[in-house]
Amino acid sequence: MASRRRMLLKVIILGDSGVGKTSLMNQYVNRKFSNQYKATIGADFLTKEVQFEDRLFTLQIWDTAGQERFQSLGVAFYRGADCCVLVYDVNVMKSFDNLNHWREEFLIQASPSDPENFPFVVLGNKIDVDGGNSRVISEKKAKAWCASKGNIPYFETSAKEGFNVEAAFQCIAKNALKNEPEEEMYLPDTIDVGGGGRQQRSTGCEC
Amino acid sequence: MTEPQDPFSYPPIDPVNFDLIIVGTALSESVIAAAASAVGKTILHLDPNSFYGSHFASLSLHDLTSYLTSPHSLPSAATAAASSDSDDIVVVDLVHQPLCTDAETATYDESAFLSENSRKFNIDLGGPRALFCADKTIDLLMKSGAAQYLEFKGIDESFVYEANAGLANVPDSRGAIFRDKKLSLKEKNQLMRFFKLVQQHLDDTQEEKIPKEDLEIPFVSFLEKMKLPPKIKSILLYAIAMLDYDQDNNEVCEELLKTKDGIDCLAQYSSSVGRFPNAPGALLYPIYGEGELPQAFCRRAAVKGCIYVLRMPVVSLLMDKVTGSYKGVRLASGQDLYSHQLILDPSFTIPSPLSLSLGDFPSERLQMLSQRDIKGMVARGICITRSSIKPDVSSCSVVYPPRSLYPEQVTSIKALQIGSNLAVCPAGTFILYLSTLCNDADEGKKLLKAAMNALLTLPVSGNSESIPSVQSDSEDIKPIVLWSAFYIQKLIMSKFEFISSTPTPDGNLNYNALLDATEKLFNQMYPNEEFFPKATSPEDPTDEDDNGLTLDS
Repeated sequence: MASRRRMLLKVIILGDSGVGKTSLMNQYVNRKFSNQYKATIGADFLTKEVQFEDRLFTLQIWDTAGQERFQSLGVAFYRGADCCVLVYDVNVMKSFDNLNHWREEFLIQASPSDPENFPFVVLGNKIDVDGGNSRVISEKKAKAWCASKGNIPYFETSAKEGFNVEAAFQCIAKNALKNEPEEEMYLPDTIDVGGGGRQQRSTGCEC
Repeated sequence: MTEPQDPFSYPPIDPVNFDLIIVGTALSESVIAAAASAVGKTILHLDPNSFYGSHFASLSLHDLTSYLTSPHSLPSAATAAASSDSDDIVVVDLVHQPLCTDAETATYDESAFLSENSRKFNIDLGGPRALFCADKTIDLLMKSGAAQYLEFKGIDESFVYEANAGLANVPDSRGAIFRDKKLSLKEKNQLMRFFKLVQQHLDDTQEEKIPKEDLEIPFVSFLEKMKLPPKIKSILLYAIAMLDYDQDNNEVCEELLKTKDGIDCLAQYSSSVGRFPNAPGALLYPIYGEGELPQAFCRRAAVKGCIYVLRMPVVSLLMDKVTGSYKGVRLASGQDLYSHQLILDPSFTIPSPLSLSLGDFPSERLQMLSQRDIKGMVARGICITRSSIKPDVSSCSVVYPPRSLYPEQVTSIKALQIGSNLAVCPAGTFILYLSTLCNDADEGKKLLKAAMNALLTLPVSGNSESIPSVQSDSEDIKPIVLWSAFYIQKLIMSKFEFISSTPTPDGNLNYNALLDATEKLFNQMYPNEEFFPKATSPEDPTDEDDNGLTLDS
């Protein structure tokens, strides 16, 4: 039964409102992008099967469901995460500045046993905007920040164009898998009254 | 509660008009947020705290201590006041009155263990509380979609405390009666016969029914009529039907439970046993504590578009100067927001009488709001120990029937021990929750302390000889208390007015009464809307779980 738990990897995506968290998820899982921005409504979590070294895993990617807008994500959202994805918009300075806050917030709320080595992945999104002319954060600056926080892997992405999204999520999956689970409390006697909601979900979007 | 200043400064909330503004994220408020979002209402859900759950939160040891011991310093107006803000709006300041009072905490652990592990605790503020496997809370969790964010474990055992005999298993099923070591053969037969009678009564295909006139008499009289001995009677009334007041004492028990309701309680209990194959008894407890429940409903609401703002106190109400009707609220940030309806956490009131005369302002309606429907109080206790009250049992419930501790005990005490396998405390520790209804704070706390002393012992410094054991089970060594807290919580009913308020946590072990009140409040607010219509549930009813857990068994 312990191995069953390892089949499911929980990934949470954090970052300021409007940086493209939901779009990145949708692009990766459904290969879809919508230009119409609405503060996230209807996104819960998406799941995708990933293969890694001949084993099949379910990546469960949790959206903030808009609760990040006023920094009001509850501790339940953070619990049991295997990887935390930090997203900023390369065209918005504040979204980059806030990465540090999101990282700290995660470490406090999720309180992983080994915070130094907990897997984060940073994504600089929206590199397509205005042909890159409106970006205010250079790749160099972002990489320097990632290096200073224990060499966090960094990807520049465009959820709109689908650029680098697959590669980024492969890295996310790989790092989530490497993360040693906290303590094995997902013992066989765990009762899921909803009949397997956590284990079995195709797409969480129900807009 | 003092909170560290958030490093972010909130942007103004946009939009400024909502169908409903809800203040507080306790279970009732969260369920209404999820239910109203599910039918398309626009909602703003606020909480002055930095955490979800209000009176249903599960907190770290440090946060719990400061929540209980430091008076809540929410930025509410220091002096009760109402002022005229503009031509057509009157601003009435809200007063926050903590629900939990008379708190006393004690640390007996001289090492730094507790402070070093503070964050490993998720201690329920409204405990003891658990779910019956077959109760309707489970249905609500599924219907609302909140179940997908939650995981539970079964409570290992259920005990009843017997004077001079310690803990005895609650004989809650045929198998349990057979296995029971403390019941005599005669008692086993009596109990079996009674269970069979109830089973026949509930079975539609059976002719044999309990006579109609018996269904209307007090359950306690019916049990006497069935010639059940006092011990069995006590188990049925307090450990299975979970009654609060001494049913043999007409002075304290204003309302005796009727036989038909007693039968329903028995039915719920017996259908809970065995509903989930890997739940050993009738009860379930959420992994990480009860604070997960409101958070699950809030996430359902958020997914449906409800806007969440924590750390945001509401300081005043905005009222129409002419009609006296509710218009909106003023936040601590100074922003004014408007909604058709408002739900307030029961800890908020309006000062009475208003200190300012406002001319023609129809203040009678506000006076109505300032009168809270207080229905007594519940005393709660929390003890942290390093060993279980029963060897080899991690989680268990205990009921102390009336008069089991001392003759003047008129209420039963409910207790719940939760171990570290439910992720609420560090490995090797246990949390014991206790509660009882009471009319007086000292009386309530005295009772809980007697209950604590019956099962636990306080460390005696410099003396290895501890308090003599009360338990007859001599092989049981009583666990030593590391930390304890006792406090009193007011019981306030929900209210549907032009401004509604939700109920406080009640004295029950499960959530049924509270959720009934919540559903009623929702139906009063939205008489034309369904409480969680079927279509909103994202779950496929077909059970795909490879664990083999089915819901309808």
